[in-house]
Amino acid sequence: MKEKNGLTRRDFLKSTAVGIAGAGLASLPFESVAQKGVEPPPLKPEKDAVLRVLRWEVFVQGDKDLWNKNTKKWEETTGCKVMTEYISWEDVRPKAAMAASVGAGHDIVLGWHDDPHLYPDKLLDVTDIATYLGKKYGGWEPVCYKYAINPRTNRWIAIPMGGPVNCINYRESWVKEVGYEKPPSNIFEFIKMCKKLKEKGHPPGFALGHAVGDGNNWTHHWLWAFGGKCVDKDANVVINSPETWNALEAVRELYDTLIPGTASWLDPHNNKAFLAGEISVTTNGISIYAAAKGKWPEIANDMNHVNMPIGPVGKPTELHLFNQAFIFKYTRFPNACKHYLMFMLEEPQAAPWINAMIGYVGPSLKDYKKLPIWTSDPKITPFRDCIANMLWNGYEGPEGPASAAAMAEYVVVDLIGDVCVRGKSPKEAARIAEQRLLRYYKKKVSVPKKEAPAPAKKEVPAAPKK
Amino acid sequence: MIESFWSKFFRFYVPLIIFVIFLLFPFYWMFNTSLKPMKELYNLKLNPFYVHQPTLENMKTLLFDTIFLRWMYNTFFVAILSTAISLGASLLAAYAIQRLKFKTSGPTGLAIFFGYLIPPTILFIPLATIIFDLRLWDSLWSLVLTYPTFLIPFCTWLLMGYFKSIPKEMEECAMIDGASRLRVFWRIVIPLCLPGIFSAGIFAFTLSWNEFLYALAFISTTESKTVPIGLVTELVRGDVYHWGPLMTGALLASVPVALVYSFFVEHYVAGLTGALKE
Amino acid sequence: MQIQAEERGWLRLRNAFSTLMENRNFLGFLLVIPAEAILFIFLAYPFILGLWLGFTDTVIGRKGDFIGVGNYVSLLKDSTFWLVTYNTFLYTIVAVLFKAILGFVLAIILNRDFKAKGLVRAIILLPWIIPTALSAIVFWWLYDSTFSAISWSLIKMGLINHKIDFLGDPTNARISLIVANVWRGIPFFTIGLLAGLQTIDPTLYEAAAIDGAGSWKRFRRITLPLILPLLAVITTFSTIWTFGDFQLVWVITKGGPANATHLFGTLSFQRAIPGGHFGEGAAISNFILPILVLCVLISFKYLKRED
Repeated sequence: MKEKNGLTRRDFLKSTAVGIAGAGLASLPFESVAQKGVEPPPLKPEKDAVLRVLRWEVFVQGDKDLWNKNTKKWEETTGCKVMTEYISWEDVRPKAAMAASVGAGHDIVLGWHDDPHLYPDKLLDVTDIATYLGKKYGGWEPVCYKYAINPRTNRWIAIPMGGPVNCINYRESWVKEVGYEKPPSNIFEFIKMCKKLKEKGHPPGFALGHAVGDGNNWTHHWLWAFGGKCVDKDANVVINSPETWNALEAVRELYDTLIPGTASWLDPHNNKAFLAGEISVTTNGISIYAAAKGKWPEIANDMNHVNMPIGPVGKPTELHLFNQAFIFKYTRFPNACKHYLMFMLEEPQAAPWINAMIGYVGPSLKDYKKLPIWTSDPKITPFRDCIANMLWNGYEGPEGPASAAAMAEYVVVDLIGDVCVRGKSPKEAARIAEQRLLRYYKKKVSVPKKEAPAPAKKEVPAAPKK
Repeated sequence: MIESFWSKFFRFYVPLIIFVIFLLFPFYWMFNTSLKPMKELYNLKLNPFYVHQPTLENMKTLLFDTIFLRWMYNTFFVAILSTAISLGASLLAAYAIQRLKFKTSGPTGLAIFFGYLIPPTILFIPLATIIFDLRLWDSLWSLVLTYPTFLIPFCTWLLMGYFKSIPKEMEECAMIDGASRLRVFWRIVIPLCLPGIFSAGIFAFTLSWNEFLYALAFISTTESKTVPIGLVTELVRGDVYHWGPLMTGALLASVPVALVYSFFVEHYVAGLTGALKE
Repeated sequence: MQIQAEERGWLRLRNAFSTLMENRNFLGFLLVIPAEAILFIFLAYPFILGLWLGFTDTVIGRKGDFIGVGNYVSLLKDSTFWLVTYNTFLYTIVAVLFKAILGFVLAIILNRDFKAKGLVRAIILLPWIIPTALSAIVFWWLYDSTFSAISWSLIKMGLINHKIDFLGDPTNARISLIVANVWRGIPFFTIGLLAGLQTIDPTLYEAAAIDGAGSWKRFRRITLPLILPLLAVITTFSTIWTFGDFQLVWVITKGGPANATHLFGTLSFQRAIPGGHFGEGAAISNFILPILVLCVLISFKYLKRED
């Protein structure tokens, strides 16, 4: 058994070396990662159910191929039908919001970050399948509990699907040239490396525009790494703190080493600059590596990834796009929806799916980190641990409209930008961010725990709209 | 008036050429990008104005990996129908307001016009509820019926302007000869306004051709998407933009329409001048 | 007998009907019904819902409570909102001004006979026809801080020595967006005004020329007064569109850097949808209304005077 496994791994190495492994991996056998003897909850899909699923247009073709293939498999086993709609990832939120407020539309949505917490009362309780999947596949990563559980009812309202995760992307030869084996994990050392890279004419580049993914991810990480945060556990705004000022002092040093123009960068900019050889270090998903393997082999061979550096708090503080599937209560086929999601995350489906995504999407279930894709190419391995390393949007407060609004307003991105680009002092910038955050965190609706009982009562009759 | 060559050169050709270059440059850029392979796009050492290894790969992707032609058809379908509906409704309304001067024509005209001021960004959420109740969700008819909300105010006002510019005498003569109002409207007013109808139609068609927000909100399935939505939602994948096919699509979606327009514009200007000389 | 009576009845009915159809008030009402029906169902009704939203604290998926002018008060205290108000006015005024001037100039240039006139007119329409979502992507690519062809050529010409940060600097970003908007808006002015220019009787110019009026004087005394009503209508429409612009900004900068390019439309969308605060988003949109109504009333009054 073990030897066989070893062989397959070598096969992987071969196939990935040739190019994008994707489809090749899907058919290869591997050791099961599932725990034995966990019984699935008894779910009977409604007869002739037709499910409408909304998800984001994939980042990598293998995702779509396997997702559709698994869906077809489910259709064949249950006799139900699924209509999947793919739209660009940034448009999922408006559509899901509309479905929630109209009370009709897609049955299942694969949404982002705080989405389920914007309309928790409209979502189906999925505690049974979440518990089952957790038990069977080694438990959920810690951040999942924050993202998928409604804190007021303590029930699961979403199934975490994982996230398109970011790592430090770097050019090996240039990093070696300035005396490092790989980018250091100590954040101060990391800044030093960036300075040296810049001196050598190979500056790093991090997005500081209103970039939904890359911009939010690295700036939140940076703030948290120094112990700064927007709010505390009880949703009190605590951004204007010495920790934040320290983070801002440090980021100013970092910014001085960056390539000019990052203030306007949106998500695609760093990909292009990296592939053009303009920058040496950036934060990104595996999309640069995947593109390079196809068309810029000289860059693919010279690039590598490491996890984000660790700051004075001494533990990883990453933020990544986080994807979760949720079911609207208005669906006519609640059991079929749950059964479908459960089926898609079961090993026979999920394993080839995750493999086919060649590292784009980090898994939310711990055992899926054992899948061969993560070790098939050492350059992919760092992406495996990203979800385990991440905190949630709105850390350390609750998920909800306030945290969603703060991210949508780019409060943290602008905080960093104010200091780096617009020359404000750290204290001044922190004060501005504080004012902006107070607009949302003060409102009563934004703190579910503290919410007065009166509005809560009103919501109950409004929720089950049929 | 005879103009010297140099005077014509500086007062006509030079400014015209500057304008044409400014207006065309982004299209040249689309064309240029649509022929470039990805690798060349990101190569900073090459001259970006020139395509070194032209490829039809992007065209192939667009036509065979997406259902671009279907999107074109959808867009035409929606644009033509909503333009027709709007023109019909606006023509009647504009005539009534401008020519009949009925009791509340002033306030009605204002009310219709104010309709134009309401931004779609705030309308689309309540509108979604209505579309849903009417069972028009994910149907092209939802667009055919909602686009007139911004087309009618626009067309009505444009046509009211035209009615104003057409002399009343002909209508009055016909009325004295005993023709009914509706007959006068059909036989005299409409032919006289044809240029105005054309120009309102052109602008209405363009506005619906470009509409983005409603189409994004109300249409779900790939087969029912319009061109702008189809291209942007299916050729932008995460942080990877498929520049080549995107630009090819943009070109293919605009150039044929522009050519059709050039024909119409000629027609409508000729009609306009002709009608007024008589 | 009976048949005759019936016929007479019909005749009377028909006469009554045709009299009714000649009645200006009745016919007027009848003719505006189609337009008003569509506008009522798909515009007025959702609009009233939207207006109501602006007075509530609705967040996505949760019914809000009536909070009176709470949203408006909190917006007036929000520095971002004031910045956005400034941006919107700046954007609208500058862009419309340039569109009007350049569009008019181009219309005058084109108002003569020359070879390939049809082709040139078609070319000029192109920016207007292409879906904004796509032209915005082209501009975005042209403004790229690394790959911009504009920077590339200026460097090659030796005019600058490092790449221009088109979208990272607030002033540059505003200029860049205005240029894109002007590019898109010129055809509307040109084609509209060209149609108007062609209706001006050439004998007027000839008479003026015989009287010895120069070209500037002819423009001031003949062209401008005759075209002014049309110009006012076109400008009004362009102002409305520019004021409510959304796509261009959303694609190119998402309102950045540091909200320097956010407009009412984009801020409203950002706070309502990604931010989840429907009520506040609606309130921002509602702020647009009185301002636009004011603009329109001014131009409207002006048009009345011309009548």
